[in-house]
Amino acid sequence: MTDLYRHFKKFFVSLQLTVALLILSLILVFVATLDQVNLGVWAVQAKYFRTFAVLWHVPGTGYSLPVFPGGWFIGGLLLINLVCAHVYRFSLTWKKTGIQLAHAGIILLLLGELFTGLWAKESFMRIDQGETKQYAESFLDNELVILDHSDPNFDTVVAIPETLLGEKRTFQHPKLPFSVTVREFYPNVSLQMRNQSAAAAAMPAVATAGLGAQLVMLPLPVTYKPDERNLPGAYVEITAPEGPLGVWIASPQLGMPQTFQYGGKTWEVALRAQRHYYPFALTLLKFSHDVYAGTDIPKNFSSRVRVRSDDGHDDREVLIFMNAPLRYGGQTFYQAGFDKNDTTTILQVVRNPSWQLPYIACIMMGLGLIIQFSFSLAAFFRKRAAAAAATATT
Amino acid sequence: MISPRRYSTIATLLCLLAAAGCRDREVVTYRAPKDPAPTLMAPAAQGPVDPNAPLPEGHPAIGDAAASAGPMGALPAGAAANGNALTWTAPANWQAKAVSSFRKGSYNIPGDTGAMADVAITAFPGDTGGLFANVNRWRGQIGLPPVAESGLEAAIQRVDVNTFHVIVFDATGSVNGKPTRLLGAIVPFDGQTWFFKILGPEAIVAKEQAGFRDFLSTLKAP
Repeated sequence: MTDLYRHFKKFFVSLQLTVALLILSLILVFVATLDQVNLGVWAVQAKYFRTFAVLWHVPGTGYSLPVFPGGWFIGGLLLINLVCAHVYRFSLTWKKTGIQLAHAGIILLLLGELFTGLWAKESFMRIDQGETKQYAESFLDNELVILDHSDPNFDTVVAIPETLLGEKRTFQHPKLPFSVTVREFYPNVSLQMRNQSAAAAAMPAVATAGLGAQLVMLPLPVTYKPDERNLPGAYVEITAPEGPLGVWIASPQLGMPQTFQYGGKTWEVALRAQRHYYPFALTLLKFSHDVYAGTDIPKNFSSRVRVRSDDGHDDREVLIFMNAPLRYGGQTFYQAGFDKNDTTTILQVVRNPSWQLPYIACIMMGLGLIIQFSFSLAAFFRKRAAAAAATATT
Repeated sequence: MISPRRYSTIATLLCLLAAAGCRDREVVTYRAPKDPAPTLMAPAAQGPVDPNAPLPEGHPAIGDAAASAGPMGALPAGAAANGNALTWTAPANWQAKAVSSFRKGSYNIPGDTGAMADVAITAFPGDTGGLFANVNRWRGQIGLPPVAESGLEAAIQRVDVNTFHVIVFDATGSVNGKPTRLLGAIVPFDGQTWFFKILGPEAIVAKEQAGFRDFLSTLKAP
């Protein structure tokens, strides 16, 4: 046991491990940066950094093989390595305060990235002038939702995340009196009217209800371009205990909700950008797009919004503009864009509970290095003074 | 000996790393405020649905950027034909209409009696079912019977315009008892198929016949 422990300790505390991990991370960053041309920033983050292993899809098979350690693996080991070195190697003396503080800063920085990867959520809120919104929408993720419209005050939503749709299975939920089967799911599709092209007309009719009978879905390759969005599509079959109710096409490209009646209630089926609801609402009072006088050069974009919390505690007006976001309810609302001839604002909504960590980490590292170098400088001056004194006496 | 404190430090770190593997993979349910004044489609009709029926009134054109707008606005999907786009110059008498990401170009050609011919310019990835099927689809739109594969070449003209191999289709049939002509061109380009189609009353389309060739000669690759 003691041998094994010593062996582990030697491995995790060693400086060789640090160097090896730093070299691996250099290679990872280099390859990922090159691959950004093909995959774009989001997919590269998922494939190389927010994963334990970089997977290579074996062509012609459904299998993927790990070919290189991923960001979480390298970062995780680096974190363990640093913590172990922190605990075992360094002694708690005043002289070592600087180096301890700098190392603690690096540990915090690594933890900050881990927490950001785990908890940070980015989404967008589009509000037309005069409109009130209580939710933001994800830019990348979608969800299949079944809504129960029967209550006059609210909708009951059962949301199936996109990550589960690819499994093409049947979902049963206590809130639903029927089962929902995903017959087909495509991460990116083009919808076409069935009578629009010969290829579309020749495709088998899968959907039997809603708008689906007039439409076909043509699967498209997944896009990784940062300015494009994958618009998924699914064939969704709803089956009641008495028998099937129909197959619907669900896609964010449909411009109208598809509803159906069952059990005396009105239901809706939709595939839409994943929504995050908040216990407060934002109303866009006015969007302003200021330009420098006599030119078309933008000077400022700003949104005057009214924030109202559900509990009635807050009801105030706020001006959101560049570099002056609204921080409210754990979310940060940044002015991100505009649309519809300056009558719609687009706010980026970021929730990152660990956003302060990189700042604290940098301060700790900076302070640590200042202390460390101050000690070295003081020692250097002492040595020089001693040397000068020695020369003077000889 | 290893101290319990050190054990717990390492265990905590491993737990953190393990937690990193968890993603959103659960069906969730919640109450949400109702969307303001949704344009609800009529509940699904029980029984078979006509596959050729138009979309319900108020539904934006399929592929319309506004309809498919993500939260970031009118971002193009990797949808429809997203390769390089052709450019053209429309004749002066064509009145431009609103385009969508589905219709790359859309025009009206007014006639003398107030009637209009419609010009649609569309593009789709691939060969969209092949020439034979598309020629017969166009023939079907003006009430003509399909041609056999052996009669395909007689139903079309192949011309080279600038750097493009263009298939020109011109036929007159009838729609709702009125003589209707379809003058169209199919242009394969960069892995896509572009369709240029004038559809309308025979008298209006006949006047466009010469102008259509001139129009095709304005086609340019980017």
